[in-house]
Amino acid sequence: MRQRSSTARLYALCIVLVLGAAAAWTAHADEPARDAPPPTKIRDLDYGDVLFHFFQDDYFESIVRLEANRDFNRLSHHAAEADLLSGGLYLSLGLHTEAERIFDRLLAGPVAPSVRDRARFYLARIGYQRGYYEAALRNLGLIGQPLAGKLEPERRLLEANVLMSLGRYGEAAQRLESWSDTSGWSSYARFNLGVALVRAGDTARGRQFLEQVGTMPASNEEQASLRDRANLALGFALLQQQGSDDPAAVLSRVRLDGPFTNKALLALGWAEANANHPERALVPWLELQQRTILDASVQESLIAVPYAYVKLASNGQATQQYRAAVDAYTRESRRIDESIAAIRQGGFLDSILTAVPKSDRPGWFWQLETLPDAPHTRYLYHLMASHEFQEGLKNYRDLRLMQANLARWTDSLEAFGAMIEARELAATQREPHRQEVLAGTDLDALAQRQQELTDRFAQVEASREVAALASPQERSQWEVLARIDATLASMPAGPQRDEFTERARLLRGALSWELDRAYKVRATQTRRDLKQTRSALAEAGTRLAAIGEAGDLVPQNTQGFAGRVDNLSERVARITPLLDATALAQERALADIAVGELQAQQKRLGSYSTQAQFALASLYDGASGGGGK
Amino acid sequence: MKPKSPLLLRVARLVTVFALLAAPLAAMPSEGDATNLKTVDQDVQALKKQLIDLNRDLFKLEEELLYPASTQVAVFLSVDVGTFFALDSVTLKVDDKEVANYLYTEREVQALHRGGVQKLYLGNLKTGSHEIVAFFTGKGPHDRDYRRGTTLKLDKTVGAKYVELRISDREASLQPEFVVRQWE
Repeated sequence: MRQRSSTARLYALCIVLVLGAAAAWTAHADEPARDAPPPTKIRDLDYGDVLFHFFQDDYFESIVRLEANRDFNRLSHHAAEADLLSGGLYLSLGLHTEAERIFDRLLAGPVAPSVRDRARFYLARIGYQRGYYEAALRNLGLIGQPLAGKLEPERRLLEANVLMSLGRYGEAAQRLESWSDTSGWSSYARFNLGVALVRAGDTARGRQFLEQVGTMPASNEEQASLRDRANLALGFALLQQQGSDDPAAVLSRVRLDGPFTNKALLALGWAEANANHPERALVPWLELQQRTILDASVQESLIAVPYAYVKLASNGQATQQYRAAVDAYTRESRRIDESIAAIRQGGFLDSILTAVPKSDRPGWFWQLETLPDAPHTRYLYHLMASHEFQEGLKNYRDLRLMQANLARWTDSLEAFGAMIEARELAATQREPHRQEVLAGTDLDALAQRQQELTDRFAQVEASREVAALASPQERSQWEVLARIDATLASMPAGPQRDEFTERARLLRGALSWELDRAYKVRATQTRRDLKQTRSALAEAGTRLAAIGEAGDLVPQNTQGFAGRVDNLSERVARITPLLDATALAQERALADIAVGELQAQQKRLGSYSTQAQFALASLYDGASGGGGK
Repeated sequence: MKPKSPLLLRVARLVTVFALLAAPLAAMPSEGDATNLKTVDQDVQALKKQLIDLNRDLFKLEEELLYPASTQVAVFLSVDVGTFFALDSVTLKVDDKEVANYLYTEREVQALHRGGVQKLYLGNLKTGSHEIVAFFTGKGPHDRDYRRGTTLKLDKTVGAKYVELRISDREASLQPEFVVRQWE
């Protein structure tokens, strides 16, 4: 539960706060990012990737990807949703100011009513968490339509809590009384209302609501725990009232194996003792006495048991028990000294975190059921229940994760730097060849030659110059025939020359016929070849330009990347010591709290011990004066 | 309550007060401690913002440096309904070379079912034609082991190319359907 400013005041004010918190909130409610946005049809795959991490509660990775992809302009189809999600993520990460800025900016722009309502809801929650209750109520009042999914019951619960924080219990009661749903959220609301009414002095109505929660069926641990809290709260209220109603019946409803069992057993004993049933009081107290002495209720049971024996006139047993109590308190006080010394040495948070499941799920601290049994953690269970300590521990864990994150990036940046250097080197080695290719390629000459061939072919086509398309063999044959003609011309006339002339004519005719026959196919082929040559020439031009451009850009690109790597390396180097110092400060701050808590426990043990010694003295006094048994 | 002696009465009252107040008060940090924590908390939040910005810039640098837009290919995986198939793993091959083999956790599968889209693979390809093949392994209808493949012929041009592998339900045959498509 997050009630930073109000918690301390409430603790001091009201008996029901023995439970550790005034208003119950579900384990998930203080993690805004868990309020999943309604299923959306993904139109930008990178937004889906952001959601993939978000749905796994990996908020840091999710916000990093969201910010990066937004810079790459890859979330344009989900702009408003992405803004809303980023606000929720920042809120979950504890960055209230950043979240508020985003929601305010969203509200200032033209957005869908549903987005506007959700932004107002988140702003209301921020207001509530920071103690700006009027602002929170104003934002809640501006929500136009019921919110989607589980946000709506959460809104109603938030509204009731805000009203209670403003002391407007009557209005809170009205809102909750008209809330007829049967969700788990309404149970929390009823518990809160019961607490608020008792606190306002309206015990009768408060009892009504606490009874409802205290007798509800529970289908999971969270509900069972809430039911226990309601019964414990009501039991304490009745105990304090000392009226005709029997708190024992209510307290008996608390489970024997839950987080509130010890307090319930202690209170049950007092309820019986108050009702002049010391023999019945002994039952829960003796049970309590068997439990670990680390718990405050168990510590108190050590003197509660002999007190009951005194009332039963069993002074011998009482004396024995008081002595045992004094010994136990002394032993525990010594152990606390050891714990304080261990905490002062440092490193106690790391040992606690090793017991935490590697999960970012909210409420993870409640899973600390098995704190390592070391001197520095033995007495910290109560401390774990405080919101401030949990937040501090969470911060410390985040800082540790960030240190690991930066260490990874430091390695990557080194690799990036090496890669850029390698690219530069490769480009330098390629440069002479590139220059050679660029210098040795005369595209203009090739283009001119291509044009000449095109023109020549046009002439051939125009005059149907079949011999121009002859194959090399045919061209050779044609030349042979020309030489034969010349030879024949120099021969004396006669029958032999006539015969040779006739044979040459026939050969020329056959060759001409063949050239003519092949001309069409050859012309088509030549046309195609010329076309392909044109394309190849154009492509060569493009490639050559690309080679030129790429080569020219290499220094620019590598320098650009190298500059970014240098800049980011500097940022990492600047933040790293800051991170280390903050982690240390966080550890020291929590160590101070832990030591303070241990000293308070020690003081309480001292007080119990004094009471036990007084009681012993009284018993001895009675025994020596013959006035006691 | 009627103790037999005034001392015991006093003890009993003291004890009751301790019972009611001791635990919560002990768990409360003192005002000074709380102020100290708040200051550290503010420092932590400021650092977090710096780290988010830094990680964003590092993320961008990494992608631009390693996967330039001219050659970039990204393969995403999504699930639409997916009641006929429980996803265990996906193997991705590009031009017959295995580039990704991913085993899913329950949490990741839930994230996919809730609408998340996994960026399964980010790599580089030359311009020209390529073949992408994905094999899906899991449990099909009637809890039977199920393995299916799907193929895409990809014509890589200059510019980033996005490919989506989508697992959906084919209601008519009560069978899962595996579709692969290119995004423009």
